[in-house]
Amino acid sequence: MCDDPRVSVTGWIVDTPTKPARLAIALAGLGLGVIAYRVQIDNLNILGPFTTPTRAWAIVAVAWAFLFAGLVAWTRRPGNLVGPLMLAAGFALLLRQLRYSHDPLLFTVFFVLGELAYALVGHSVLAYPSGRVTDRAERALVKVGYATVLTVPLVTLFFYDASKPLLFFDPTPRQSELLVSGSAQMVELLQKGLVIWLYGVLATLFIVLILRRLASATPRARRMLAPLLLAAIAIALRAVFECVFTFVDRPFAYDYVFWWQIVGFIALPLALMAGLVRARLAQATVGDLVLELETTQPHGIRDALARALGDPTLEVAFWLPERREFADSAGRPVELPEGGRRAVTKLDQDGEPVAALIHDPSLLDEPELVRAAGAAARLALQNARLQAEMRAQLQKVQESRGRIVAAADEERRRIERDLHDGAQQRLVALALQLRLAQRRPGEHADPEVDRLLEAAVDELQAAVNELRELARGVHPAILTEEGLAAALDSLASRSPLPVSLEVLDARLPPEVEATAYFVACEALANVVKHAEASKAAISAWRQNGSLMIEVEDDGIGGARTEDGSGLRGLTDRVEALGGRLTIQSPVGGGTRLVGEIPCAS
Amino acid sequence: MIAEDSVLLREGLARVLGESGFEVVAQVGDATELRRAVRRTKPDVAIVDVRMPPTQTDEGAQAAKEIRAEHPEVAVLVLSNVVEARVALELFSERPEGFGYLLKDRVLEIDDFLESVRRVAGGGTAIDPDVVIQLVGRRRVHDPLEELTPREREVLGLMAEGRSNRGICEKLFVSPKTVETHVNSIFLKLDLAPAPDDHRRVLAVLAFLRS
Repeated sequence: MCDDPRVSVTGWIVDTPTKPARLAIALAGLGLGVIAYRVQIDNLNILGPFTTPTRAWAIVAVAWAFLFAGLVAWTRRPGNLVGPLMLAAGFALLLRQLRYSHDPLLFTVFFVLGELAYALVGHSVLAYPSGRVTDRAERALVKVGYATVLTVPLVTLFFYDASKPLLFFDPTPRQSELLVSGSAQMVELLQKGLVIWLYGVLATLFIVLILRRLASATPRARRMLAPLLLAAIAIALRAVFECVFTFVDRPFAYDYVFWWQIVGFIALPLALMAGLVRARLAQATVGDLVLELETTQPHGIRDALARALGDPTLEVAFWLPERREFADSAGRPVELPEGGRRAVTKLDQDGEPVAALIHDPSLLDEPELVRAAGAAARLALQNARLQAEMRAQLQKVQESRGRIVAAADEERRRIERDLHDGAQQRLVALALQLRLAQRRPGEHADPEVDRLLEAAVDELQAAVNELRELARGVHPAILTEEGLAAALDSLASRSPLPVSLEVLDARLPPEVEATAYFVACEALANVVKHAEASKAAISAWRQNGSLMIEVEDDGIGGARTEDGSGLRGLTDRVEALGGRLTIQSPVGGGTRLVGEIPCAS
Repeated sequence: MIAEDSVLLREGLARVLGESGFEVVAQVGDATELRRAVRRTKPDVAIVDVRMPPTQTDEGAQAAKEIRAEHPEVAVLVLSNVVEARVALELFSERPEGFGYLLKDRVLEIDDFLESVRRVAGGGTAIDPDVVIQLVGRRRVHDPLEELTPREREVLGLMAEGRSNRGICEKLFVSPKTVETHVNSIFLKLDLAPAPDDHRRVLAVLAFLRS
């Protein structure tokens, strides 16, 4: 997970430092720390006590804190630039002390580069926790900071001719290698200007930006951003220290503020490091996630991911390639939010989306964590996605089955109406015409014609009767007009077996009534044909939002759904409406067929 | 008067009735016209098709019910492509006088049909034999009809159709005395109270069969 090559930061890949490299960095830091200490003691106290060993060590300790925190963060969060930035800040803080040297070259170089340390400190704070400075205002501040610390000290040395001591320096003169034209006034102006600009203006902006970030953060992000508050306090102390004591000569509070800002600056890198490592610990929960997902049902994936990412608001949307859209686990379409209070991380496989995580925007600061969790969950997600896809298709199929049944019913009703109102009606009218012809008195009274007409009417009458039976089989009119109870009553009254009825007297959706009717019809036909029963009973009642239809007989039993296409077709029909057809038919124990048909009304 | 949406059938009926001494006072093609025509002409009998425009479901039956409620003096003969016992019982409710319910193709047996029209017009009842078969033929677990002789069942069916003793005599070619014997025997076996007139008799028989 850690060496995922896709994790890149602003274009470069920051690899984990190797063990020898880490050792070299640590030794360099220690050595440089001792040198920095000596440079201070040897150069600042020539004319008397300007600094104390404790203070000199304290300054080194701040740098060491940055080095330590930077090294740990870089090791534990490879790919995150905050670690390397802190490391750079630590070295810069040590090298800064070389500016106190009386060697002209060392003085010149490190006076010019000395303030870089504070720009790096600011940069590492603003880059926390993602390693990138994304906010436009913050980016601008970082750029202005670097520009300031790289130009102002440089220009100062153009004018420094040792005629007056430098700010924060002991009174002994140093030699600027860059001297162009000596001007103690310019030097003082530039030095004080730098302090006011850097510690007055930029530090204030820095604190404002941090407070803004904290204020607009979601609760999850705020926990993560807590070290920034410490940074704001440390920088504020430092700013007060620099500003106040630039213009006020060593009042009694000097010591007090000095030590507080030292404490702040030692705590700052450690807090940033702790924050990063804790986020790294969150990644360790990804390991648990992998194990957990092995036993997790698809619907539990969201919860497992939400726990691993520490974001209870997390939502998972699955990609449905066929519909080319995202859907939730129930197959309902999901619109991915753009910007605002939600962020989206898409998980791909071979260039094809698998799923999208809709989460708290603070997680964008930890892309490795989200990606790692996503990678761990990918297989399970893909599985879940297939299930969501299947469910979506099943729902569609279910709906279309229902529509097909309804359409078929409608068609049957139409055929029934057409048979009665069309063909049957015409045949009756035609037969009546023949009868009238037959009854015409007078010369046409030919017995042969009369016989033919009689036969024709009889034929027509038979045809009408057949049509009537046909129409009843297609869709009994009484079902449409009077409902299930009446239709079952009619069915029972035509049955050669005694049939007792107990049927609810209420109108239900037509496809439900028709399905229940045909179930009873087919079941009763089977009873008559196969069951050798002496009586049958039909019941229909409502139960838990479903219509229950039951046909029971006292026959020989042993019937199965697979027997005969009639029952098979009915099972399909009932299932098309989301219902079930069950049959209990112990040999010798009669048969009981129960249909359960969901009905909304 | 005749309410029937098939023109051919309507006119055929009108001719049959006209030739047999009836006066057809109105011929209409839908239920709205039917109601209006009944109010206007107050006919002795209204012959009504169950299914008529605009919905082609049962507006004829609805109109028949209304006519029976609003104009008790108008006899109603309902014609239908299918007959259902349940619908018959509902239409005739508790008042069998001046009511008939027949399959449409019964008109082909012209003499029988005319007899039914006359019976209904005279305040009698005409129930389609199919309905009676549904009621009489219905199998029951403990069937009291099992005790009847085949001839008695036949007589029971004819009573249920609404026929008088004389009508039954003509249908079965037996003497009035024989019919009376059968009727008494049936009432005795089915444990029915003897009915004072034909209306009560139809009611009693149908009530028994329906239970």
